[in-house]
Amino acid sequence: MGTLRIVHYLNQFFAGVGGEKHANVAPERRHGAAGPGVPMQKALGEAAEIVATVYCGDDYFNVNGEAAIARIVELIAAEAPAVVVTGPAFASGRYGMACAAVGQAVEERLGIPAVTAMATDNPAVELYRRSLCIIPTGESVATTGEIVERMARIALKRGRGEPLGRPDDEGYLSRGIRQNVIVPQPAAVRVVDLVLRKVRGEPYTTEIPLPDVDPLVPAPPLRDLKTATIALVTSGGVVPRGNPDRIEARRASRWSKFSIAGLDDLSSRDFECIHGGFDNELVAADPDRVLPVDVMRELEREGSIGRLHEYCYATVGAGGPIERARRFGRDISAELLAAGVQAVIMTAT
Amino acid sequence: MRLEIASYQVKDVRFGAATRLRDGVLEIDADELRRLLLQDPALDDVTVALARPGESVRIIHVLDTVEPRARMSQPGTDFPGHLSPPLTVGEGRTHRLAGVAVMETAELPLSLGGLNVKEAIVDMSGPAAAFTPFASTLNVVLTFKVCPGLSYAEYDAAIRHAGLRAAVHLAEVTRDLPPHEVETFALGPSSPDLPRIVYTCLLCQEGDVHHDFVYGRTVDETPTLVHPNEFLDGAIVNGEHHIAAYLKPTFFHQNHPIIRELYRRHGHELTFAGVVLTKCLTWSNFDKQRSASFAAKLARLLGAQGVVISAGTGGHAVADLMLNCQEAARAGLKTALTCFEMAGDRGDEFGFVTYVPEADAVVSTGNMDELIDLPPVERVIGGTTIIDIGDYEGGGGAAALGALTTAMRRLYCCTSLVGPGLMTTRPV
Repeated sequence: MGTLRIVHYLNQFFAGVGGEKHANVAPERRHGAAGPGVPMQKALGEAAEIVATVYCGDDYFNVNGEAAIARIVELIAAEAPAVVVTGPAFASGRYGMACAAVGQAVEERLGIPAVTAMATDNPAVELYRRSLCIIPTGESVATTGEIVERMARIALKRGRGEPLGRPDDEGYLSRGIRQNVIVPQPAAVRVVDLVLRKVRGEPYTTEIPLPDVDPLVPAPPLRDLKTATIALVTSGGVVPRGNPDRIEARRASRWSKFSIAGLDDLSSRDFECIHGGFDNELVAADPDRVLPVDVMRELEREGSIGRLHEYCYATVGAGGPIERARRFGRDISAELLAAGVQAVIMTAT
Repeated sequence: MRLEIASYQVKDVRFGAATRLRDGVLEIDADELRRLLLQDPALDDVTVALARPGESVRIIHVLDTVEPRARMSQPGTDFPGHLSPPLTVGEGRTHRLAGVAVMETAELPLSLGGLNVKEAIVDMSGPAAAFTPFASTLNVVLTFKVCPGLSYAEYDAAIRHAGLRAAVHLAEVTRDLPPHEVETFALGPSSPDLPRIVYTCLLCQEGDVHHDFVYGRTVDETPTLVHPNEFLDGAIVNGEHHIAAYLKPTFFHQNHPIIRELYRRHGHELTFAGVVLTKCLTWSNFDKQRSASFAAKLARLLGAQGVVISAGTGGHAVADLMLNCQEAARAGLKTALTCFEMAGDRGDEFGFVTYVPEADAVVSTGNMDELIDLPPVERVIGGTTIIDIGDYEGGGGAAALGALTTAMRRLYCCTSLVGPGLMTTRPV
């Protein structure tokens, strides 16, 4: 096996050009290793050679975006590397974005594997972890020696086309993808082990890490209900008959928006419930029981509320993931805010 | 309460002129079994088929699965609330045919509003066999044809009773034979130094497709206490046929993996302090909080330091699971949970519909959204085509003999919540 060719991407600072004052330098290439590439070359030994270092100023990259990426990819391609290493960027946000974007561009456009490294809370991690091999670092540059050794080891494997082991074993960040595996002990044994460890005060590890807890804070109460425009939004799957937006019966991938202008209640002739996760017979008979247009109209007539918004929004939860629900919430809220709606009644099933 | 379970290991099962157990081979007189089951006027016909581990066989439309059992000490008390009066079991001697499962299948193309029976598949060989616990049992598969014109509840009851009746009938062959092994289950004295662990079991009740039975009735909102032996002796029967992957068939109540594990460690690693039964899929947040707080209190009354909580089913039942965890933690108890994941077919979504920060020790029974390729098979039992009422899961109408790419959701018990399986998820 010949010596593997590696190209290393750095920013102007780690390439030794200079600090903030030089953050505007355009993409350049120099022969051999530089900065953290020097100890990395040591770790690689005879197995691989950092044939070139490509660098770019952080500001330049930030301002020029795609043009900078295209030029960097061109400089890298000219070296015909087997693998590209970017960073480590540690906690630097701009540099992290550049390392990740270059890594992704190299993989997508050149079909060459890339390896990068940065702190787990670098903003680029959330954006790129699903597609990139990212090695987690601390925030301190003092750990460079250890990090570049790991980068070298993983770069060698990727450059040779060898399969990587599991993230925890190899030392790269999980891509956030969970895969089914068979383990030696049944779940019943594992769960009793877990509870005993907790009771005894021993260290324990959950099999399903929770996302960062993001508590829902209700909006402050309306100051004046009598003048408020109120909208109805549901995850209960009540939609116009025929389901024109083709909302799925479970884990819907979209939502439906429909007008209820001029309607005093929802009749089962014109509306149906397409939610597949609960016994929806009663709702099929009277769709108002999930989307209570009838009661809202009464309140509107009495003057208890200002106005019922003319559009309803409906989707189906039925096990839909939290991330998707957040996205629906953001999108629907934006429309409601733009339409001057002050409050929403959300019904679930 | 002291229960002796005598095991009769079965090496093979075949049809014969009489129903008997000889040299570890269960012989079944299929005509006799059919006559017994067809006494129920709701059933038009039943066929009996056998499926063995390793065979190129796919079983579809699976409903409940039961281990052949017969209570010896008090004849006529099997499956109380279904085949006998609803009187307490869990004491005396019960015989089991080990390695055999009676499996009910039927095509019930009924939609009850949004709830309907979902496809449930067992492959006896191939890639799915590693994930489905019933690929390693000798399965006596009963395929029912029901009489037209009855309600779903009537079909459901008829099929359930027939499956239980068949299980007793088969186990009766052991009556005068010496067992291979006798296990004794009793919550005997334990050291006060050992941690006291309670098991909180969530059962479900939503509608005719979605319910579990305790002595013939569905569980209600007020949690209660049961002796673990009642589980092991037929008091808990499954009537849930919603999502195949995370079901808890009667077989796994009779051989409850978590209860058996707590028993196995009782007296040397822990003190098994009892079982709390509670309902999930309660309809309101009020009822969810009430049940969860009540269940935590019962665990405390049992002197628990730790509690194992198994999820009951999917959807908003996950909220019941999480609230049970939260209330137990607030009561000062250490918790560990079992739950399946719905992490999407690529595995890149968070797998729970809701969670609480206290849920920091969860055992995953696997991502039921992951896709699996099932190869063609030589023989199908239970029907001919894959069902998918209301286009819930896709692939409806596909020939069951052929290759099929499906979410693991359809693999019967592959992520079962009571913990028989070896599956979990790992990040990649």
